[in-house]
Amino acid sequence: MKPFPLPPIKPSTPHAVEHNTALNVSHLSWVIDGKTILSDINFALPSGQMLGLIGPNGAGKSSLLRCIYRFVRPTQGTITLFNQNIDLLSPKAFACRVAVVQQDTPHYFDMTTEQLVSMGLTPHKGMFDTNSSGDSVKIAKALEKVGLVHKVHQQYERLSGGEKQRALIARAIVQQPQLLILDEPTNHLDVRYQIQILELVRSLGISVIASIHDLNLASALCDSLLLLDKGEVCAMGTPTEVLTEARIGDVFGVCAQVSSHPQHKKPLISYFYGYQHQDVDQGILMPNHDLSTFKGS
Amino acid sequence: MKDTNPSLFKLLLGRILTPLTRQQWFILGLVILALITPIAAASFGAASIGFLDVLHIVIRKLSHIFGRADEVNVMAERIVMELRLPRILLAFVAGAGLSLAGSVLQTVTRNPLADPYLFGISSGASFGAVVMLTIFTGSGLFENPELIASSGVFSGSGAFAGLLWFSLPFGAFIGASLSVLIVLALSGLGLNSQVERMLLSGVATSFMFGALTSLLLYFASPLATASVLFWSLGSFAKASWSLLLLPSLVIGVSLVIILGMKRQIMALQAGDETAHTLGVNVPKLRLNMLLLCSLITAVLVATCGGIGFVGLMIPHTVRLLFPGRQSILLIALVGGLFMVWIDVLARCLLGNQELPVGIITAAIGSFFFLIILRRRKVAI
Repeated sequence: MKPFPLPPIKPSTPHAVEHNTALNVSHLSWVIDGKTILSDINFALPSGQMLGLIGPNGAGKSSLLRCIYRFVRPTQGTITLFNQNIDLLSPKAFACRVAVVQQDTPHYFDMTTEQLVSMGLTPHKGMFDTNSSGDSVKIAKALEKVGLVHKVHQQYERLSGGEKQRALIARAIVQQPQLLILDEPTNHLDVRYQIQILELVRSLGISVIASIHDLNLASALCDSLLLLDKGEVCAMGTPTEVLTEARIGDVFGVCAQVSSHPQHKKPLISYFYGYQHQDVDQGILMPNHDLSTFKGS
Repeated sequence: MKDTNPSLFKLLLGRILTPLTRQQWFILGLVILALITPIAAASFGAASIGFLDVLHIVIRKLSHIFGRADEVNVMAERIVMELRLPRILLAFVAGAGLSLAGSVLQTVTRNPLADPYLFGISSGASFGAVVMLTIFTGSGLFENPELIASSGVFSGSGAFAGLLWFSLPFGAFIGASLSVLIVLALSGLGLNSQVERMLLSGVATSFMFGALTSLLLYFASPLATASVLFWSLGSFAKASWSLLLLPSLVIGVSLVIILGMKRQIMALQAGDETAHTLGVNVPKLRLNMLLLCSLITAVLVATCGGIGFVGLMIPHTVRLLFPGRQSILLIALVGGLFMVWIDVLARCLLGNQELPVGIITAAIGSFFFLIILRRRKVAI
């Protein structure tokens, strides 16, 4: 008996690729008052992956994220979310798919941790819907996931920086997004929370895009990195591809040595100190680890 | 004030108990107060009608509907049913409406000083009222200026007084709407610094109408000025069942809308950007809420004049008494009850003369507010 011939499997049909793309940004530009903030940004984020957005201050990281979560309207270009143009989604439908954790919350803010976390239900609820018991379970599980069960009834304002950040992530979990956007989630946190927060976000198993200042943290915990400089994409790829000594020197204006991390073998960056800024600006010091150019010693 | 004693007792008792139960005691006290207030407040006034008499009249009126009736003082019944009860209800509706508007505006503008009169509504309303007054006095419709003064209070003598009695609230409503339209036109639909534009254009509009009002009053007769002053300080003396209809309807519907939008309004507390990421159309929601609060305020200003400070103070008081419990209904209830008892004070403080409600709310309100602020400073 002849086996029935199986159709050949095409691992990369265009459809399959597009279906697995969580976010696709093409030819995105944002110009305001004649000043170019972002120009011709192109990248795609595969579903379930974590993309780290890196770059110096003023590179346009937050602006790019704001374009993605539609807080600002780009001058041109299209952004698609799971193959759907985000401009076509209603505010509510969009918020059901994308959750955002920002850096700062307003000062005048009278809410308990639980109330803050339950705000994640907002886009999922109609006019007079009350919280069901299922919602309470959802909130309790999210609080458990971020380890804040004991702070449920505490005022959000009285939480520590790390706890606040975790509460905001719990709110995003309750929002049940397909894409999670984090704008510098590790700012102002000590090293333990920096690692904890990013590992927590990774463990959620959803697509994540996060802007991160600490290059070593980005290298260790992101699947891929997008390096922005002056509103343009400088490099995009795995941490090993993006984080080269030459690029770090060019973009950040520091002298660094890149080696392999003993644990995960991804790039480990060591910085050299004592260089004067004008030297770097004039390009006298080429970024390498040749210590003969190390003036500070 | 035998009726406030139980709640005061509970308030004191609550101090000893744990925070959670203290809140529950507060709420229980409020509910009891809310239940006895209509009857208790109706037993205060110029004619002495006791608590039990009022209870008797109301029960008799209710049982009359079911076909049973017995003897009662007709005069007392008319006073209670046609003067005092509508007045109490109007005071309740006004207090609830102003606190509601204040609370929503404070949240959507994220400005703890926001208040229903902030957006030039009251100055717009005063301007409208003054225009009406000057039109009537200037055109010689009023030969007898006493009519103008008496029209501030319900007198109903003569067709002209009746005309003014209708035109004053009407003018106030037009003026209030005009000021809101100016503020809305200036604040626009853009997200960019919408709150700042709203507040600044509100202050500017307020001053503009204030100046126009002063100009008109400068050329108006002293009696017209007195009448405007009395009107602008607020009073529930004109209350009747028919007058009660529009404010109750507007505030009832607004309450339902606000309760329906509660999640969106709450999300605005966390900032425009966060609210946006939670699926709230921020500029649209803020404009709609400003419009709704303006409608509430304009209707109330037109019906009972300018009653300041309630919209600012009650939401803060509720927030301090019930931390973390952001209940719209609670704010409306406390505001309503507060206003009813302020009106009782207005009726009783000066023996045979009524004080304008606005004076008492502002006097008690600011004093109370300073105490709360002091306590809050100590707490933090």
